[in-house]
Amino acid sequence: MKYSVSVNGESYEIEVDADTVRVGDIASRARILDLDGPSTPLRMLTIGEEIHRVQMRPGESRGRYTLWIDGFRFEVEALDERTRAIRELSAATAKPTGPAPLVAPMPGMIVRVSVGEGDAVQAGEGLVVMEAMKMENELRAAAAGTVKRVHVAPGTAVEKGALLLEME
Amino acid sequence: MFSKVLIANRGEIALRVIRACHELGVRAVAVYSDADERAPHVRAADEAVHIGPAPSAESYLKGDRIVEAAVRVGAEAIHPGYGFLSEREWFARAVREAGLVFIGPPAEAIAAMGSKTAARQLAIAAGVPVVPGTTEALRDEADARAVAERFGYPVLLKAAAGGGGKGMRVVRDAASLGPSLETARREAKAAFGDDAVYVEKYIVGPRHVEIQVLGDTHGTMLSLNERECSVQRRHQKMIEEAPSVAVTRELRRRMGETAVRAASAAGYVNAGTCEFLLDANGEFYFLEMNTRLQVEHPVTELVTGLDLVQWQLRVAAGERLPFKQEEIVPRGWAMECRITSEDPANGFLPSTGRVRYLHLPSGPCVRWDGGIESGSEVTLYYDPMLAKLIVWAPSRELAIARMHRALSELVIAGVETSRDFHLRVMEDDEFRRGAIEIQWLERRLSSLLEAKAPEALRQIAAIAGALIADRERGAPRGSITAAPSAPAPAAAAWKRAARLEGLR
Repeated sequence: MKYSVSVNGESYEIEVDADTVRVGDIASRARILDLDGPSTPLRMLTIGEEIHRVQMRPGESRGRYTLWIDGFRFEVEALDERTRAIRELSAATAKPTGPAPLVAPMPGMIVRVSVGEGDAVQAGEGLVVMEAMKMENELRAAAAGTVKRVHVAPGTAVEKGALLLEME
Repeated sequence: MFSKVLIANRGEIALRVIRACHELGVRAVAVYSDADERAPHVRAADEAVHIGPAPSAESYLKGDRIVEAAVRVGAEAIHPGYGFLSEREWFARAVREAGLVFIGPPAEAIAAMGSKTAARQLAIAAGVPVVPGTTEALRDEADARAVAERFGYPVLLKAAAGGGGKGMRVVRDAASLGPSLETARREAKAAFGDDAVYVEKYIVGPRHVEIQVLGDTHGTMLSLNERECSVQRRHQKMIEEAPSVAVTRELRRRMGETAVRAASAAGYVNAGTCEFLLDANGEFYFLEMNTRLQVEHPVTELVTGLDLVQWQLRVAAGERLPFKQEEIVPRGWAMECRITSEDPANGFLPSTGRVRYLHLPSGPCVRWDGGIESGSEVTLYYDPMLAKLIVWAPSRELAIARMHRALSELVIAGVETSRDFHLRVMEDDEFRRGAIEIQWLERRLSSLLEAKAPEALRQIAAIAGALIADRERGAPRGSITAAPSAPAPAAAAWKRAARLEGLR
């Protein structure tokens, strides 16, 4: 089976056939083993005779993983050919979505809202200041956009994932 | 020596003190909040007393309740650890008034050094060099503006009652003075219940070098030499080491004598730390004295061979320090990384959750002072520091290599941690050369965090991803990975085959 794998946004084509892995013209024997059972995050990857220590966390959808290998962290999405074909078809018909809303990355308290409804913001601009663990953390705009609605005010206690600002 | 000591703290430092107690044959009494009923420090203790709900204001900061508990269980002394009540004069006094021993300095020494403004005045009187600044809290913005103009920008706003970087702000120009003062006041009020803020001249490019002192009740006060803690983010120390690349034998002697002079002027006893800024010309300025055991005390322990916590207990019990200043010579190099539940890939935002898996590094000269274990819940109630990883080696170069090796062995799953950040620092050329000062990390942080894995490793990640996905294919949704060798029941095997057929 051929897989199209995205690693931190970069694409790789990998073919897996039982315990043989092909990358381009190079084929090697490779396998990934559980240590301590599948519910623990540790894996051992062997490629030929090379050993790599892998820590894995399943992502939000099938084929997505966060992997730590030799001290680096990777956001990985591995799609087999069929899934990718289906994904591409459905993506072509899906409606475009606007800029992502700002959500609380952690539970805490709102200290300051630096923008108002209708304000145009630049990527990286500070939007909301939250206090958690006694430190103030500034949440910044991931992309340029306009503030559509403000859902919080100073003093609001919020849970992780709470909607703070809607953007458009 | 005492026969029973109560530890008024939690997490790694409570465990550290319990270990010292047990090594000295002293029974250890833990205290705990609702959130810590099954915490490692409780299980390590001989007795444990419940002191209140999870928020520290209702538990670990309830000094009266803690003193009561100590009296009730028959403890003779209280060790406050760091943070919480450790630098509260009233607590040290309450312990003494209850007829118990406070394992730390006398309440009067905490008072003399506790407020940074008071400490400065005392230091100036003792002839200890200080950074130019105000000795009194600011009245208002106009006052702040006048002082800032006198010293020249940049200036630093600091909470008088503060510590740990909270309520601290660098002001680079007149325009940002007002908002910064407001923020500093607010943080100071929230963290310490006191919004008094003062101003000092901001020395550009200094190192943070501190001197550990240890004094007994018989008039001996020793310098246990320096630690360098220049790797800081938002004034929070991240990595500490001993000795410092910037300190020569001669400078060590001078700084040590200065620290001993400052501590003696305050009538200090037990372990304490004088913090200095050391500029590029070798000039040093006294900042403040921490009247408690420091988080980073293990690096001093590893290069001096002295167990600081044991000596805290011995000195508090009235023992004499049996060494002379000239016997205290640093040997080799020690380094400490603070492992926090903060996500470096996401602006160091605090991360919470359950530790699902923990694998600790080991091997030669690796020390883990931790307060977590597999199954521990990391909450927002307490400090994000989970543990300290400390190594020793004969030289700085070897200590860095050993730290890198130990960090690579460490696995913490379930919460995000600062581990990868520390790995990148150990790989950094400037850090390896020792070219660090207190602004170094702020300047270097984004490039450290953006450090890309080598291409070969990215390809290996792709192979790992494809192999994991391949094993999951055909496995029912929800089950992550079944071991390929596990014999599957016949019916499931048929189903799986049918599903694979369907996909072709």
